[in-house]
Amino acid sequence: MKWFKQLSIAAMAIALITTSSSVVGAASSLKGKIVINGSSALLPLTLQAANEFKKLNPKVKISASAAGSITGPQSVRKGIADIGAVDWDASQDVPGFKKFDGQVAHKVAIIPFAAVTNSNVKVDNLTTKQLQDIFSGKVTNWKDVGGSDADIIVVNRAFGSGTRVNFQMKALDGSEFMSKGSNYKEVKSSGDMKTAIETTPNAIGYIDLVYVTSKMKAMQINGVAPTEANIIKGTYKVWGYGYFMTKGKPDGATKAFIEYIQSTKFQNGSLKKLKFIPISAIK
Amino acid sequence: MSTSASDGQLATGYELGKSIKAGSGKTLDRKNRLLFYNRTFKVICIFSAAFVCLILFSILFFMFQTGVLTFKEVSLTTFFFSTDWSPETDSFGALVFIFGTLALTFLTLLISVPFSIFIAVFLAEIAPKWLRNFLRPILDILVGIPSVVYGFLGLTMLIPLLRDVTGTNMGDGLLAAALVLTIMVLPTISRISDDSISAVPGKYREASYALGSTRFQTIFKVVIPAARSGIMYGVILGMARAIGETMAVVMVIGNTPQIADALFKPTSVLTSNIVMQIPNVPFDSTWNYALYMMGFILLVISLLMIIIVRLFQRKGANV
Repeated sequence: MKWFKQLSIAAMAIALITTSSSVVGAASSLKGKIVINGSSALLPLTLQAANEFKKLNPKVKISASAAGSITGPQSVRKGIADIGAVDWDASQDVPGFKKFDGQVAHKVAIIPFAAVTNSNVKVDNLTTKQLQDIFSGKVTNWKDVGGSDADIIVVNRAFGSGTRVNFQMKALDGSEFMSKGSNYKEVKSSGDMKTAIETTPNAIGYIDLVYVTSKMKAMQINGVAPTEANIIKGTYKVWGYGYFMTKGKPDGATKAFIEYIQSTKFQNGSLKKLKFIPISAIK
Repeated sequence: MSTSASDGQLATGYELGKSIKAGSGKTLDRKNRLLFYNRTFKVICIFSAAFVCLILFSILFFMFQTGVLTFKEVSLTTFFFSTDWSPETDSFGALVFIFGTLALTFLTLLISVPFSIFIAVFLAEIAPKWLRNFLRPILDILVGIPSVVYGFLGLTMLIPLLRDVTGTNMGDGLLAAALVLTIMVLPTISRISDDSISAVPGKYREASYALGSTRFQTIFKVVIPAARSGIMYGVILGMARAIGETMAVVMVIGNTPQIADALFKPTSVLTSNIVMQIPNVPFDSTWNYALYMMGFILLVISLLMIIIVRLFQRKGANV
């Protein structure tokens, strides 16, 4: 389904160009050029914000693209981009990735994740320990965690995926994934994960909450269901902030843009419509 | 040529071989003009051919230039003979992927070549004309379908089917990938073979029948050997498509860095591993260089295969 994503991105880009050119002579005198690169999960959010921001500040040029989370802070380090969008706080060490010195992380959104299984799986609830055992390959049969007698198929995202980093940190407490085995496979994108879980009996994987469909089952973790309400209450822990990385403290147009995306108006409006959770929802 | 020149030409009368006035006012006779055109055309052709070669060699060179940096940190033997690919712990053994690519291409050809030749024989020798005219465009359309469509169908239809038929847990692996690739290369190989079988002169068949051969003997002892070089060419093109195919393979092969010692074990090939990992690797890392090196190896493998088949083809033509 990657083509679909790209198509919708292209459509958004076209909409962005046509709308921005029609608005001339607004009040703002802010000038500048902002280049954004990084996470594809955050791209719809960035494009929507850029679209609205340009209406308010017609003299600011924004170009946004996405080539994967890790390219965000890397582009910022190389000076190619002003903002690097990333699914984890790249100014800190995370499993597998060293921190980027001298970069400042700005929270822009909350991305919820869920452990999901094929709808034929009888289990509804897993503890952190059980998740760790399943994803490290120690437990290989559903009957060991209260299900029917069937081999567990583990579907994982490739190393470097922002979703994988977040799931590993929040749901598995940083424990290692398995990487081999005859009931183990890796998929390239959230779309492929969705298809794999939907079509493979006894499969388990993880995905952004917005991708969960009726053909798969979102697991309760330690007895808590993955809902927006539980995330806001603080009982469901598997979610991550989406970050904008900048080289040092931002200024000018970049600063104004980050402030716009963090503003209450955007957070409670367009951001919620795109099924992210506002950062202010969690204290 | 400017309008004044053509006016002048009209004024002096239209005579072949006579001089005409060029735009600059300089006189060029027809012979020199034609010579100039011919030379220019020749130069453009040579330049185009050289340009293609230049592109090929610069791709090879730049892939190699980046890829070779891998060996600053990883030894040659580790890279080519180790099966341990875990970049997060600095282990870069590419044997799994090299082996996977070769095995997948071999398996694909094993299934697709006999099938394609049967289809080609049917189209060229057996099918009635109306059926032939109906089937050929269908095969041509199959070539044009984007590979991601084949991959998606493989993921949603073929794999569940394989799982039901064989009773395995997953279905992902070499066999699923080879079946998807077979469907993709089948039209390429069969259409080219079809054309070359159709091009075999009718007198060969007549001579064969005159000697008392059956239709089966004629087709397999006379027509196919006569069309061998064309069939080989089809196989080369099909193989090139199979070895470089990425999007369809990545969806059905399982993407796990382990040696494919069974048909239904999730594994990985050069193309699928590159496309899985390249979006998330740091720019200036050994990991990145290793992926470039794998791309270079992929190019070298496909070049080698083409050279081998060409040699084989030439030998066949001499006999």
